[in-house]
Amino acid sequence: MDITFAQYAWFAPLFPLAAFAILTAMGRGLGRAGAWVATAASLLSFLLSLLIAIERLGGTAEDYTGRIEWLRAGSIMLHAGYEVTNLTSLMLVIVTFVALLVNLYSIGYMKDDERISVFFGYVALFTASMLGLVLADNLLTLYICWELVGVCSFLLIGFWFRKPEARAAAKKAFIVTRIGDLGLLLAILLLYWNMPNHALDFTSLYNVFHSQSDTLSASLTTLIALLIFLGAVGKSGQFPLHVWLPDAMEGPTPISALIHAATMVAAGVYLVVRTFDIFEASQAALAAVAIVGAFTAIFAAVIGLAQNDIKRVLAYSTVSQLGYMMLALGAGSTAAATFHLFTHAFFKALLFLAAGSVIHAIHTQDIREMGGLGRRMKITAWTFGIGALALSGIPPFSGFWSKDAVLAAALDESPWLFAVGVVAAFFTALYMARLFFLVFFGAPRGDAKAYAHAKKSPAVMTVPLVILAVLALLAGFVETPWNEWLGSWLSGEEEEGGINGLVVIASVGASLLGLYLGWLFYGRRSSSGNPAAEKASGLRRILERKFYVDELYELAFVRPLAALGRGLDAFDRVVVDGAVRLAGRSVQAAGKLNTRLLNGQIQAYALCALLGAVLLILAIAGRRFW
Amino acid sequence: MQALQTLTWNDTWYLAPEIVLAAFTIALALLDLSLPRRIDRDIIGWGAVLGLVTAGVFVGWHIHDLGAWEKAGESPFRNLLDGSYRVDDFGNLLKLVFLGASALIVLASLGTVKKEEVPIKGEFYYLVLPAVLGAMVMASSGDLITLFIGMELLGIASYILVGVRKSSGLSGEAAFKYVVTGGTASAFVLYGMSFLYGATGSTRLSGIAQSIGDAVEGSKALVYVAFFLMIVGFALKLALAPFHAWAPDVYQGAPTPVTSFLGVVAKAAAFAMLYRLFVNTALYAYADTAQVREDLFLALAVLAAAAMIVGVAGALRQQNAKRLLALSGVANAGILLVPLTLDITSFHSSLFSEFIYYLLAYVFMNVGAFAVLTVVSRETGSEELSGFAGLYHRAPWTAAAMTALICSLAGLPVTGGFFGKLFILFGTVQTKQYWLAAILLFTTVVSYYLYFSFIRQMFMRSGDTERQTKVPMATGLVVWICAIASVALGVLPKPILEWVDGLFSVSLDFLSR
Repeated sequence: MDITFAQYAWFAPLFPLAAFAILTAMGRGLGRAGAWVATAASLLSFLLSLLIAIERLGGTAEDYTGRIEWLRAGSIMLHAGYEVTNLTSLMLVIVTFVALLVNLYSIGYMKDDERISVFFGYVALFTASMLGLVLADNLLTLYICWELVGVCSFLLIGFWFRKPEARAAAKKAFIVTRIGDLGLLLAILLLYWNMPNHALDFTSLYNVFHSQSDTLSASLTTLIALLIFLGAVGKSGQFPLHVWLPDAMEGPTPISALIHAATMVAAGVYLVVRTFDIFEASQAALAAVAIVGAFTAIFAAVIGLAQNDIKRVLAYSTVSQLGYMMLALGAGSTAAATFHLFTHAFFKALLFLAAGSVIHAIHTQDIREMGGLGRRMKITAWTFGIGALALSGIPPFSGFWSKDAVLAAALDESPWLFAVGVVAAFFTALYMARLFFLVFFGAPRGDAKAYAHAKKSPAVMTVPLVILAVLALLAGFVETPWNEWLGSWLSGEEEEGGINGLVVIASVGASLLGLYLGWLFYGRRSSSGNPAAEKASGLRRILERKFYVDELYELAFVRPLAALGRGLDAFDRVVVDGAVRLAGRSVQAAGKLNTRLLNGQIQAYALCALLGAVLLILAIAGRRFW
Repeated sequence: MQALQTLTWNDTWYLAPEIVLAAFTIALALLDLSLPRRIDRDIIGWGAVLGLVTAGVFVGWHIHDLGAWEKAGESPFRNLLDGSYRVDDFGNLLKLVFLGASALIVLASLGTVKKEEVPIKGEFYYLVLPAVLGAMVMASSGDLITLFIGMELLGIASYILVGVRKSSGLSGEAAFKYVVTGGTASAFVLYGMSFLYGATGSTRLSGIAQSIGDAVEGSKALVYVAFFLMIVGFALKLALAPFHAWAPDVYQGAPTPVTSFLGVVAKAAAFAMLYRLFVNTALYAYADTAQVREDLFLALAVLAAAAMIVGVAGALRQQNAKRLLALSGVANAGILLVPLTLDITSFHSSLFSEFIYYLLAYVFMNVGAFAVLTVVSRETGSEELSGFAGLYHRAPWTAAAMTALICSLAGLPVTGGFFGKLFILFGTVQTKQYWLAAILLFTTVVSYYLYFSFIRQMFMRSGDTERQTKVPMATGLVVWICAIASVALGVLPKPILEWVDGLFSVSLDFLSR
């Protein structure tokens, strides 16, 4: 089959990059038109991605790699390149599609912000870096883009930098994810030293780790896999580095949808999928991935139960769902993980954008001050409901199919993992029911004036919601137990279908139970009941404090580090600074001497030259005669 | 004594670039005389650009021809006039650099040179051509005498160019100082050359190469004296420390385009001559000369180190942008000298690519920075660093381009300056000259401070006026060519290195005759 569009895949990141350049250069001059420039760029990228994906749907298209030698210095050779496979083309479509919708939505959401062109510039830069990350054909290129998306995330979380919380959250996100990035960097360095020919591209990784040859020792392989996973843990908000993701909700809501729900946080999962050959070579690493994923899934779901900020609930939900993906990876199923990533991108983006629509209408994020909004914002309520059902895993919504696939993979691996997954599914349904009923049902509890002013969001905001809702409903059918199309397409192998009754019954049962209990607590009572009446039991307090992880970090790391920092600072000021000042002073003194010599007298210049010549000759030639 | 071989009709084709320049000089001089006074002399400037480009096209043609010969198994060079003039890839590459840089400089000066300052604008434009011709002769010589003639042609044309702002006292002083220093340098070089002739009995570089082994055996002192005198002369020409004192004065007094020419083309030409002298004479071909060679290259390395240190240290306290760039040029000359000084016995073949790559980066960053300086000084009437204050608000695009150029000067990634320094650094480490590597690193770090004083002024200080700066089109074009080229060199260092490596080979260009 001909490869037409895949060779031009590198244009996909170029469009948003160009938009970023234009917006940065012309910035304020463009004003609101800038938003359309960015949107048009993301539309172009989306169309190109769609063409590439359609081309690959033909089924037999070969993987396409384009590469240039970027730099060669001695034996050091660095490549930059891109690779189009079925997986990357799927990711391209997800990223560009969500980016397009978020761009569109932001035109409405951000219209009153005076730095709107800066915002769209950052979003365009993020889109470009994320596409670069997806397309990268080697770990180094991937790492560069990986850091770039981190920078964009930092910039966008702190977009409203006048809010101290936003500044703190941006800083936290940057520092916490850097811990993971360091792991990834170490892994890349280890690979660079140990791989034949210093190759870092995924094809070579596949060849080395798939052939079972002993190029790398087993312990080294495990170490590398764990370090890569550390990077994924940081980026994808897995325990114990999950703490930044809920705080990141200080950023504008469309950003939460794009970066902190659908795309960037999924980069960790994507990274593990890309380097899965390394993980497959190490049972220990796979087990670590599975355990961390399962624990995160249930841990974050439980915390989500007790949060009162609409976006933080969704953030913990994201952490939990990413845990599911990791769980699937640990159980050895990249197909299930990718599938869940795919459906999650749609319904979680939908939930965030719908939440943004609510926040846009009543200017608060506290669900205790909401209620009864369903009557005022019909489209938002309906689409949010669809997203919630999809997330809870109710058939036939997309989340059901993908969660089913994840749980089936977990059951194959170990009943314990499966049990944890099912319990987490129960909590998922419960917190979503709580959220939905508190926000949209019952009587308004907050500021009556705000409620009266709550109006429907404009069409640029609701149209993306509707599109995403349709996808949240339908996207699951690409892979059902009867027709594992996505999995076979991704792996290129025919996979046998088969339905596991236990999995379906357990997961649907758990979800339905969760929804029912949610309705019982919050839906039925909500006309009279006040959620503030929820008893502040000890358990609740723990949940509200998110298991005290932040406090633990404060005690265990921040304070000792701060003390160490003060010590180092003193050392720095006295010893290091002293040395630097000494060097600086001596250079300055040399400069002064030089200025004195350059007094404008050409006789002095000539004398200086003559003395120099004599000294030079004496020193160089003379040393032979001593 | 051989019979003199005269120029044949065939040879003129190989001399086409030189002939074009000479013809254009004469034609433009006549045009300047015959044009009525009221016609703006910018037309002569455009003529000069045309001449430089035409000559460049011929050089490109020769490069292509030489490549074809090499493929066909012929030797890829031509000896003219019994070997006193040679057309080879080394010369051609440098000629391209001279011509390109000069074309950019003349282009940048179009529209920025004021008639009140330079009453003889016509001369100003067409005198660049003989200067470049001189540089080209230096790059292509196979004989001490030809070398010297090229050097004098370049020198005398540039003495006039420095003094072209007739009404300015600074300009006159600069021209005087340049004449005295340049004359001294020529004297040193000529004195050294005569000793070399005396020791080896030949002025032809190939002849010297054949008999230098015997000469060292016969009278080592004579060879030492010859080379040391020449080194001192070139150090003066190149403004290496401690022979650099004239440079800030001359650079400051000269019109900015001429400063740019002195800093880029004149320096590159001197380097071309150094390479011819030190590599072509095959100093390293004999066991007898090992000691002399070691000493001479050590002397050059010491000069390079001194230039790097003194240039950077001296620039730290400069408030005048031109003097600052002059001293930065001293440091850069030191860096450019480093590849030549690296141990030639264990010849690492990338020596010349390192040099030419950094030379290219240096050409672009310097020509670009001087072009920006022209714009700024024309607007604010001052060449002080403070003239850059608030440039970002007055001319954001120019400030952006200047930032790219400054990054290249400072050697920050991803620019040509960064990779240039990096390659040279690799070279020093490969040949185990760790002390040179350390000095290169140290001075680079210190130089960040002085280059960022530009950035600080442009972005963090506010100027006296918010009025938009007018950038003449030709100057703006040059600024952008230079800025983009500086970045492009950093993004794609490989194609350029490969191209140079593919063209140049030590054995063919320097040793074959």
